Amino acid sequence: MTANSPQLWQQVIDKVRTWARLNSIWAVHFNSGSCNGCDIEILATLTPRYDVERLGVKLYGSPRHADVLIVTGPVTRQARERLIRTYEQMPEPKFVVSVGSCSISGGVFDGCYNVGGSVDEVIPVDVYIPGCPPRPEAIIDGIIQLLKDLQGGKPRSAVRPNVAAELPS
Amino acid sequence: MNIEQTLQTAEKILAPWNKDTLRPESNRMDMVVQTDELRAATNALHDAHWGYLSAITGLDLGVESGQLEALYHFCSGPVVVSLRVRVPRENTYLPSIADILPPATFFERELSETLGFKIEGLDESDRLFIPDDWPSDVYPLRSDFAVEQAAPVSGSRIDEIPEQGMLTGNTFVIPIGPQHPALKEPGHFQFTVDGEIVTGAKMRLGYAHRGIEKAAESRSWYQNLYLFERVCGICSHTHAMAYCMGVEKLAQVEAPPRAHAIRELVAGLERIHSHLLWLGVAAHEAGFDTLFMYSWRDRETVMNLLEQVTGNRVNYSANVLGGVKCEVGPEQAAKIKEGLDYLETRIRHYLEVVTTDAMFLNRTRGIGTITAAEAEKFGLLGPTARASGLMRDIRIEAPYGAYVRYPVSLVTRTNGDLEARCEVRLEELLVSCFAIRAILDNMPEGPLTARMPRKIPAGETIARVEAPRGELLYFIKSNGGETPARIHVRTPSLCNWVSVLEKAVGRQLADVPMLIAGMDPCFSCNDRVVTVLRTDKKEAWSWKQLREYGIEYYRR
Ligand code: SF4
Repeated sequence: MTANSPQLWQQVIDKVRTWARLNSIWAVHFNSGSCNGCDIEILATLTPRYDVERLGVKLYGSPRHADVLIVTGPVTRQARERLIRTYEQMPEPKFVVSVGSCSISGGVFDGCYNVGGSVDEVIPVDVYIPGCPPRPEAIIDGIIQLLKDLQGGKPRSAVRPNVAAELPS
Repeated sequence: MNIEQTLQTAEKILAPWNKDTLRPESNRMDMVVQTDELRAATNALHDAHWGYLSAITGLDLGVESGQLEALYHFCSGPVVVSLRVRVPRENTYLPSIADILPPATFFERELSETLGFKIEGLDESDRLFIPDDWPSDVYPLRSDFAVEQAAPVSGSRIDEIPEQGMLTGNTFVIPIGPQHPALKEPGHFQFTVDGEIVTGAKMRLGYAHRGIEKAAESRSWYQNLYLFERVCGICSHTHAMAYCMGVEKLAQVEAPPRAHAIRELVAGLERIHSHLLWLGVAAHEAGFDTLFMYSWRDRETVMNLLEQVTGNRVNYSANVLGGVKCEVGPEQAAKIKEGLDYLETRIRHYLEVVTTDAMFLNRTRGIGTITAAEAEKFGLLGPTARASGLMRDIRIEAPYGAYVRYPVSLVTRTNGDLEARCEVRLEELLVSCFAIRAILDNMPEGPLTARMPRKIPAGETIARVEAPRGELLYFIKSNGGETPARIHVRTPSLCNWVSVLEKAVGRQLADVPMLIAGMDPCFSCNDRVVTVLRTDKKEAWSWKQLREYGIEYYRR
């Protein structure tokens, strides 16, 4: 491999990208029908005591600028399509963190007529953070897990279905 | 006036339409009225200024009886008068009372969507709670409802932004949400604006509609406690408390005094966490992020206390049917007092900030003013109502549980603007701190729980509790079995929405974020997606941009 071979450049660029991504994760938060319990805990992680911004994590309003989608709550019928749409709007590579028991399995809302079930039935999920609601420490731990995976270049296990095919045109 | 007199006044007012009177509980009176006389009866109550409409509960009386029933709950202090209207299943027509009492708008919609009442003049295609792809003529709260019936209608689309009729002349529609701070639901709003001025407002809920009321009918009385705690993660204790109080009333079990005291104590701590949370959010919407960070930092103090007492930061599960499950010992009492010392100084400081900081006052003073008369008309509840000078606080009007022994004092303001709402909320916290100290100093001794039966005797009851956002009403009906027959929850935010929609009209678009934050809908998420449609081009705005636009606007 010579100094100006394209692969080498690609490797260098990839390294820089991973480095940059690891140090500045932008997240968008989506509430797909939660009880607010998880949402306020996510917000608490941003505030002085837990302060995830020290890890470079920033909560951002637009999915188009986000690396990570944080989903809370069971997926209700009305929110399902919005969730897919938000996911679709994010640029690659994108990662999904599912926060709270009810986003993982439906939790207490399992069986309610308007609840479709877990988030991973709708979009692929990379990290699950259980708890009802999980403590801010647990949420931070989940984010660290994600960062570690990215650092190790671990491939994400979930097979990405073609979610776009489900959206009505 | 005592309870009996108030009831008699109502009976006198309603006498011409009264077909049958029932007295299910000492503070309640049920009156059967005929469908076509409902409006006249409502009018009479309204004209006599008797109470306010607190909720409308719909009941399915079963396929065999062939009837549906609607209960219009009017409250005045501790007294609840319910007008009961029965309609046959084949013809579920009900006259609308929303023109007499605007708060009925949302209640009637709920009746129509969940039980299939045909409300006069209501456009059924325009849904508020159930999903857009829900088949028509299928009603989830009917007793013969099966999930299979609710298969999505093919070809229907969820969440479509209506395009026609919105781009005329200088007006355009700004859809906001659904990812937006809302009660238990992320709401979706459409504001019509002419230039900078909002000329119309519309809303869509139901993104977080999970179907809890239906699910409750198939779960045991004990399981339901944990379900209702999760209606809202911010005021979970008040939900559980209202549920427990209702079920205990039906079972004729009285929770021990120590349990009541601990319930009030946790409710007080919850109020502190909830209002500090709100203060942060409101400050954030006003562009005052320093205050947001400070108030959330201090909120961690109360979160610690809640965790110490109950073992969890959110969804504490302090209640069980018949009492509470956590003990507050002397060691904890000392810790709580220590925490309160700190919190009180901070709250006093915030009170000073919100009344003196020129930048913040710019966004709050004189904005979104609601007069007492308007507050009455919209049926406002909680701190929003009290900021307009309405004496509405269940803890004082109809003290329940330990509030008899450890009363709280009423905090009101008369200006009715956003500043007043900030002041009321913060001052309330000082009152709560005071009450918590009183409880800790004289905690009654005794057991924490009373024995509860597994089956709850048949009957109906109403439990009303003051949540941080206002009066929370639970209607609970039992058929004597192991599961409830019907539980209806009316959350305070639902009543307060009407005011936001009305108040936004005629205001600057830049004020909308503050107006919404000002009534304190349950805050559900940080930033949401917003699309702004301009006359010729589609432009995407995030809530963040709208907020920044508001902040920018006030810089000028
Ligand atoms: S996991 Fe629990 S706290 Fe989180 S949204 Fe679901 S019910 Fe609420």
